[in-house]
Amino acid sequence: MMWLGWALAALGFVLLLGQYAAGQADIFLSIANPRPLDEESMVVTLKGWGFAAQAAQPFVTPESDHGLCDVRVFATRRQMLVTIATFGFLRPVTVAWRAHAGILPLGDV
Amino acid sequence: MPIVKLGDEGRWTNYHGTGTCEAATRFALRSGDAERGRDEIAIAAKSVQDWLGQAEAAKRRVRPLGAGWSPSNVNICSQSWLLHTRRFNRCFRIGANEVRPGVDASALMLVEAGALVDEVSDKFEEQGRSLWTSGAGNGQTFAGAAATGTHGSMIACGGIQDHIRAVQIVTPAGIHWIEPAAGVMSDAFIAAMGSVPLRDDELFAAAQLPVGSLGIVTALVVDSVPKFLVRPIQNLRKVDCAALDWLAAGEFRRFSAAYALDQDPDFVQMIVNPYKPFKRPAMLRFLYREPWRDDYPRATPGQLGAGYDALSLLGRLLNDYPWARGPLLQFAMKQGYASGPDVDAPAVYGSWGEGLDTHRPLADLFNASVTIDRADLARAFERICAVYAKHGGSTVVTVRFMERAQGLLAPARFTHNAVIDFDGPRSQRTADAYAHVVECLDAEGIGFTRHWAKSCHLDAVRVAADYGEDFRRWRTARDRLLPDPAHRALFGSEVLDNLGLTR
Repeated sequence: MMWLGWALAALGFVLLLGQYAAGQADIFLSIANPRPLDEESMVVTLKGWGFAAQAAQPFVTPESDHGLCDVRVFATRRQMLVTIATFGFLRPVTVAWRAHAGILPLGDV
Repeated sequence: MPIVKLGDEGRWTNYHGTGTCEAATRFALRSGDAERGRDEIAIAAKSVQDWLGQAEAAKRRVRPLGAGWSPSNVNICSQSWLLHTRRFNRCFRIGANEVRPGVDASALMLVEAGALVDEVSDKFEEQGRSLWTSGAGNGQTFAGAAATGTHGSMIACGGIQDHIRAVQIVTPAGIHWIEPAAGVMSDAFIAAMGSVPLRDDELFAAAQLPVGSLGIVTALVVDSVPKFLVRPIQNLRKVDCAALDWLAAGEFRRFSAAYALDQDPDFVQMIVNPYKPFKRPAMLRFLYREPWRDDYPRATPGQLGAGYDALSLLGRLLNDYPWARGPLLQFAMKQGYASGPDVDAPAVYGSWGEGLDTHRPLADLFNASVTIDRADLARAFERICAVYAKHGGSTVVTVRFMERAQGLLAPARFTHNAVIDFDGPRSQRTADAYAHVVECLDAEGIGFTRHWAKSCHLDAVRVAADYGEDFRRWRTARDRLLPDPAHRALFGSEVLDNLGLTR
């Protein structure tokens, strides 16, 4: 039965490794014709396996009156380690976005 | 006032993540809603001049920031005031009354400094016009792309700055309207823009490519050609080494006939894996220009061959596993570049603007280039690939062709140019490999220049040697525009000072 224990331990390790790697994937959503301003970002921490989410700052950006060009969601290595070490109770993720500069109609001089 | 402060002093990172301004105070120049472009730009230019005065009083250097695109860090300056221009992005038609006699106003457009190449392209296309060349990306501001001499890519054209017919530059001492001695815009129009005309060929040639060192560019008059279609052909082919001789001799038709269509191409690009460049298939891209017609079948940017970002995702693997670099790069080329349309596929068409892409880097970028005399291509290219691969360069190598570009500091300064780019994931090993390429070219006595906006590690001595008399003329023009050393220093930065542009 020893081999079964080792196999399960190896499986668990591989599962954790997979979660660690996949959690750092960059989920990227963009509009078709971006006219971006600088990237802004914040860290959102999901608590209690998603029962509560607290943004570190309100989701505002000073130049967002023309909407957003794109949004990225990803976790850094450190954020994934926090997630794994807390058994998923804390799940920090980074949300990065770029506001749209606006498309203004052609004018006359 | 169209300038607003964006938050407190802090850190700013450029688009490609290659440089950071520490303790920078950010401001944004924003378009207004004035009915006439001249009124809006006059207000903005005056605001910029006042802002420069405030920066001087606060003893801060200033840096205009467009899209923040340049990886060379010419846009980086810590403890400075940064002026973001991206929201100063309107474009205006120019009427026949606003230009001097003999100038075709219908080809021209007044562009605010924050408009992207993509926006300028779109606005021209609305009017049945087009840019005649541009770089591979279109996410730079037009002013920024021109300021750094972004190389074009059409065989018979120069750089993107060749489109500029006049430029408004603001310094603490004045609002200058710079155009060639023959003149472009009417005196009344220039006055209405709040500017003083400077009609001078030397100043204009300096201002076409200022590398952000001559003041704050607020507006440009941009020229165009009638809108046209391009048919792309893109394929993976093993290129015969002898074909380099055809390219070096400008026999593009022969090259095209061998690898794509038996027609004169307007654009030829060859992307090779530097590890065995002639044994592994190269990604070839050709564009064939055709007259405009409205009923062409629309294609997506991907179908037109735009975009190649997946390449950057392999950075770490390429850096860590040197034994696998060749196959990994080849895999990246296949995955990362849009495939087709090949010769046998149904033809797709697009406007010039539709074939460009605003790429979004998801990994750290390295890019550098050398521009050589096209005649040297055959003897230089294999050597470049060999040295680059030997020292672990982990990017593909791209070759494009263009004619001599305008502007005293244009890197494309040979009559016929081959631009060789090293674009891909960033690593120290790749940067070192590029440095070895530079050493190799010097050792072989092959003349070359480097791109102002790329990570080419230039210094003042090298710039002076590369540009020679043109550099001296540029500095003379600069000193005429900015006679006060304090004003030159205002637009300086560690990078620009080291290049000899602001000191």
